[in-house]
Amino acid sequence: MAAIMKYMIAGLVRYWLIHIDYWQTIANRVEIATPLNSWKRLVEGVFLYDHNINPYEGDSFHESPIMLLIFHCLMKRVPYLLPLLFTVLDLLTAYLLYKTSKSFIKIFIESQKKQNDDIAEESKTMLLNETQLTEAADYVLSVYLFNPYSVLNCAGMTTTVIQNLLVATSLWSASNGYGILACIFIALATHQALYPVLLIVPIAILLADVNKGCNKCSYIRTLLVFVLCWGFLIYISAYIMDGSYNYLHNTYGFILTVPDLKPNIGLFWYFFTEMFEHFRLLFVCAFQINALALYVIPLTLRFKREPVLLATVLIALSTIFRSYPCIGDVGFYLALLPMWKHLFTFMQQKFIVGCAFIITSALGPTVWHLWIYSGSANANFFFGVTLSFATAQIFLITDLLFAYIKREFTLKHGLSRQVDGKPAKLVLR
Amino acid sequence: MAVLLIIFMTAVFGAFGDDFIEEIFIKPLPPTHLYSYFQFITLINNNDSFVHSNLSPRSIGEVISRFKVEELHLTLTEGQWRHNQWGYPVVDAAPGAELYAWFDPEVEDIDAEWRKLSATLSGLFCASLNFIDSFNTITPQMALWPTGPVKSNVNVTSLLRYASLPREIVCTENLTPWKKLLPCESSRGFSALLNSRMIHNTNYHSIGVHVRKVCASEDCTETKLEIKQTVALVYDYKIIGSNNWSFIKLFGHGLPGACPLATTSTIYIDITSNVTFPFQLSPPPDKIVSSHRGGSVTNLAVYNIETDVEMINVGVKHNSKEKLGVNVPPPLHFNRYVLGYGKEFGGIVTELINNYWTAIDVVVLENAPWWLPIQLSSLRINSEAESKLVKSQYYSPGRSRQKPYHLELLLTLPPRSTTTITIDFEFVFLKWQEYPPDANHGFYIGSAIVTANLPTAKNYTSIPVSGISYNSTFNASQPWYPAVFRTNGAMVSLPTPDFSMPYNVICLACTVVALAFGPLHNICTKELLLKPIGTPLSLTQKVLNFFKRKKE
Repeated sequence: MAAIMKYMIAGLVRYWLIHIDYWQTIANRVEIATPLNSWKRLVEGVFLYDHNINPYEGDSFHESPIMLLIFHCLMKRVPYLLPLLFTVLDLLTAYLLYKTSKSFIKIFIESQKKQNDDIAEESKTMLLNETQLTEAADYVLSVYLFNPYSVLNCAGMTTTVIQNLLVATSLWSASNGYGILACIFIALATHQALYPVLLIVPIAILLADVNKGCNKCSYIRTLLVFVLCWGFLIYISAYIMDGSYNYLHNTYGFILTVPDLKPNIGLFWYFFTEMFEHFRLLFVCAFQINALALYVIPLTLRFKREPVLLATVLIALSTIFRSYPCIGDVGFYLALLPMWKHLFTFMQQKFIVGCAFIITSALGPTVWHLWIYSGSANANFFFGVTLSFATAQIFLITDLLFAYIKREFTLKHGLSRQVDGKPAKLVLR
Repeated sequence: MAVLLIIFMTAVFGAFGDDFIEEIFIKPLPPTHLYSYFQFITLINNNDSFVHSNLSPRSIGEVISRFKVEELHLTLTEGQWRHNQWGYPVVDAAPGAELYAWFDPEVEDIDAEWRKLSATLSGLFCASLNFIDSFNTITPQMALWPTGPVKSNVNVTSLLRYASLPREIVCTENLTPWKKLLPCESSRGFSALLNSRMIHNTNYHSIGVHVRKVCASEDCTETKLEIKQTVALVYDYKIIGSNNWSFIKLFGHGLPGACPLATTSTIYIDITSNVTFPFQLSPPPDKIVSSHRGGSVTNLAVYNIETDVEMINVGVKHNSKEKLGVNVPPPLHFNRYVLGYGKEFGGIVTELINNYWTAIDVVVLENAPWWLPIQLSSLRINSEAESKLVKSQYYSPGRSRQKPYHLELLLTLPPRSTTTITIDFEFVFLKWQEYPPDANHGFYIGSAIVTANLPTAKNYTSIPVSGISYNSTFNASQPWYPAVFRTNGAMVSLPTPDFSMPYNVICLACTVVALAFGPLHNICTKELLLKPIGTPLSLTQKVLNFFKRKKE
């Protein structure tokens, strides 16, 4: 009953926000809408497509042709249903995340049982029990439904709503062992925004863990299905655009080369505004590798037993370092964090990170207004805020990982921090 | 001897069949301005004349033949023609530099030739035309048509390229090379009046070169090349000192006679306003012509200027002191401005005002640079998304750093109405090196082109398409009067980054990336250990420990 109330309230808030007079302001905020996901550009793309002008000829549309076709149909047939559709899709994401976290928690408990022998006697009290875990799933639901970032993202009717739904669906399918479904949805998400390609690694591990059997066969199967799906989607998109692959320049090309330097909450915009032209390519490559490839392999090797943690961290890292991030992406990974409620006691920077989130969320719009509208501040102010926001997110993620390894250590060696009776402290060596 | 030489030269040029015509048209724009328009026309009978360049400017001839240009229009303009106050000019021009050309159908890579053409003209006229590239070039579909004869089986639209540089500042360095193209340069003839000290003292000045083909015979099987050089000046009586003007007041000195190479040298002065603002001309004109064109009557005083005459100082003396008159705007005029505040979102508004009692069909060409991305979905005509006024529409979306946004609308303006075209744009954030010097000065938006077939010749002064010299406007009534106008330009102020701190930004952003890399590297490569907290070590021990650790 309480859950239904939550959905009702969250749905009503979202639906109401779409219909208030300030909707335009919400939908145009730089923090919410980027050139990649904004509603305005979707409308423009569909309008051009409707007037027989190729939207990929110009620079105003960066969604995939599949989205173009779907929204063309929707806007032509049922334009009045779109606010409702976005609300329902976002609620569906919340529901799927709730279901996913429940399945993940089952996985936690199983792996806990397996490791039972390694756990020190005095740490047994720290083990997770069923009630704690059901609570965690409820928190996941509440955070996604009532986090202002997610709410505003949905109210702005950005395509990140769909992105989040696709990622949530693939996580849910993977946690339940539906290999093909997970691959299809992660391919759809990748086709839309490229960065979810990272998630194929945790999903492959997760699928292999859930569907017991030959691990290597499972990895290969997952990868193969994913590549096939992705390739098929690229082909289908080209088919929609009359066999032309030019749309790739406007979708992946746009994401990778960062030609639009409109400010957003990420690190790219001011960096590449101020970059010397000569070094641009070098730094574009460096930043994209940082977002796409750098952390996958080391983190996979370190956390291959914990695909869920791996997935959370990879989603978060790709959000922080992607070329056009928005608060919808942030809201999504924040909703996954309550699953790690048992790690919170080991985290050291909760307070700092929490304060930084609140302060930057308040300061960001303020300095933006000062810079763009009243002309009394300059770009450095907004850059400073986005920089602190990124730093806070980085602290959050690294702190979570440290907390995880500390808990692992504590489970194994007990709570006491003593060596031969002398006080000791934990260090990385 | 001099007489003999002149006779000899005339004979030679007569053999080539080339003609040179110089004309001045002066029209008071009551109550406060005066419009003077110069045109120097060179007609070339056969294209060999470029080899034996006599009257024709060889440099232009080479440009035309090398880049296979069929028709070329270049104007360099400072100031803004105010259509609602001044009526219509003979040749309209966009503020800054404007260049458009039709190429020969044989040209394979038009874009490459276009770049070469603009670079060459840039050198020829000392203008920044070399900044013309694909990112500011468009191919107008409906707004511009060749004024010369074209073969009926050729798709002329695809051969056209158009670019305008609204930021271009026009000054003496452009006028000097322009004058050098004239047969008499600036030593004799009407061009001697073009004293740069005086003509840059005007409210509006525009110099232009227009090259086109004209029919040499009735059936148009043969063509001549026409090179027309124009100057349009608008003087303010306030700057002259009074409304009694004369050549000496306008140009600093009198007219030293016609150019000896010219076939005809004529001055036309529009004296229609004599009725409302009575004045006397001195010296008296050779004749007075009354021209009936499309229902409006124009009275023109005509002076035929001879080569060997005394210094001529044509002037006007008003009977009364300055008088205020009621300004009657022309049948069609327009207005353009930028909407919005802040530097995030804005809109461009183009207002078209039809004062006439019938509907007027116009083509409006909006040419937005790539850094001003317009959204077609936000196009509103009189606040309607789907307007019945639009008969046809063409849109080519822009691409950043590659292609401008280009929108053309064929509209029917209802009688006695104001039509408002609104389109939204988003401000673009450029790279710091892409901002021009003095970035906060603002960015110029080029003017929109308005092409109309006017149903009336009221305020209309242009030469008919088939005509060459100014007297072809006499009694030239037509069913409609084609005209190409430019609206005023506009300016936006783009948001700027802090130009002084590229290093700081690079360092700070990289630091944040490193903040993630460091801990993640530690987590992935190291493991947790318990280390006893002992008594604090002395400095020597610390140093020793450091080296011990190295050994391990």
